[in-house]
Amino acid sequence: MESVPLTWEEVARVYGRKIYNFAYRLTGNSDDAADLVQEVLLRVRKGLAAYQPGSFEGWLWRITRNAFLDEVRKRNRRPTAPLPDEVDRWDMASSPSADVEYSRISIGDDVQKALLELPYEFREAVVLCDIVGLSYEEIARAVAVPVGTVRSRIHRGRKLLRESLT
Amino acid sequence: MSHAGELISAYLDGELARHEIDQLQAHLATCGKCAAEMQEMQSVRSAVRSLPLLELPPGLIPEADAEVVPLRRNKGFLVGAAAAAVALIIAIAAIVTPSTPSVTLEELNSRYGARASLDPAFGPAKVVVPDLGDILE
Repeated sequence: MESVPLTWEEVARVYGRKIYNFAYRLTGNSDDAADLVQEVLLRVRKGLAAYQPGSFEGWLWRITRNAFLDEVRKRNRRPTAPLPDEVDRWDMASSPSADVEYSRISIGDDVQKALLELPYEFREAVVLCDIVGLSYEEIARAVAVPVGTVRSRIHRGRKLLRESLT
Repeated sequence: MSHAGELISAYLDGELARHEIDQLQAHLATCGKCAAEMQEMQSVRSAVRSLPLLELPPGLIPEADAEVVPLRRNKGFLVGAAAAAVALIIAIAAIVTPSTPSVTLEELNSRYGARASLDPAFGPAKVVVPDLGDILE
């Protein structure tokens, strides 16, 4: 049976750093990443009592992803637009705010820069796989897509990264 | 199998079943394009995985009892406190700063003309002293 952290403090201690790195690699911004960690832990604290034993990782990363996307929606203030476009407008180089975020990336961090150039779905899949270390099954549960879609997104994301890095 | 495609990434991530691994390896032995792609994907995967795992900013997660230490920064409180501090500074400044006396046009002309007459660098009063009536309009 899966070992589930029982207290908020344990979740914070075990997963706080992973959540921070997830958010940082998606945004390239440490302040945004720190805010997301706090928001996620707040949601975990509220939701932990009602958590049903199962895939804790899937539950936690679903919360993390939802918190991230909620923050994106708030920033864009365009709740009626399609979600992936919203995400890309927020942190891709095509938007004014993205230029500011983009400039914060440390010079020479080509991989981080290439990650930020990926479409959101691919970036999310690659980060959850290679940074967070989730299995395809766990990513599928967190993102609510079939495992085959996860497999495709990761591969396509890596191919785009290769093009950016060469 | 035409080309391996996304099986390559799944293989690198240990996400293939045994029979898929066998198929992929048989294909790679005969397909240079997919063998090259395998190498490239492995490099990209390693590059992403070699990104440093960043430390949490100090103080982000309170070690103390979560019931005592607020998890979330209270932005509303900070904004209110900042506004109160600004208001206090303004109030103190209003108390300690002498009120600016009302100055008549005649007094300004008198001061301006006096400085012009005492400071040679200021130039001849008739040249430098502007018509304050025009300035103040």
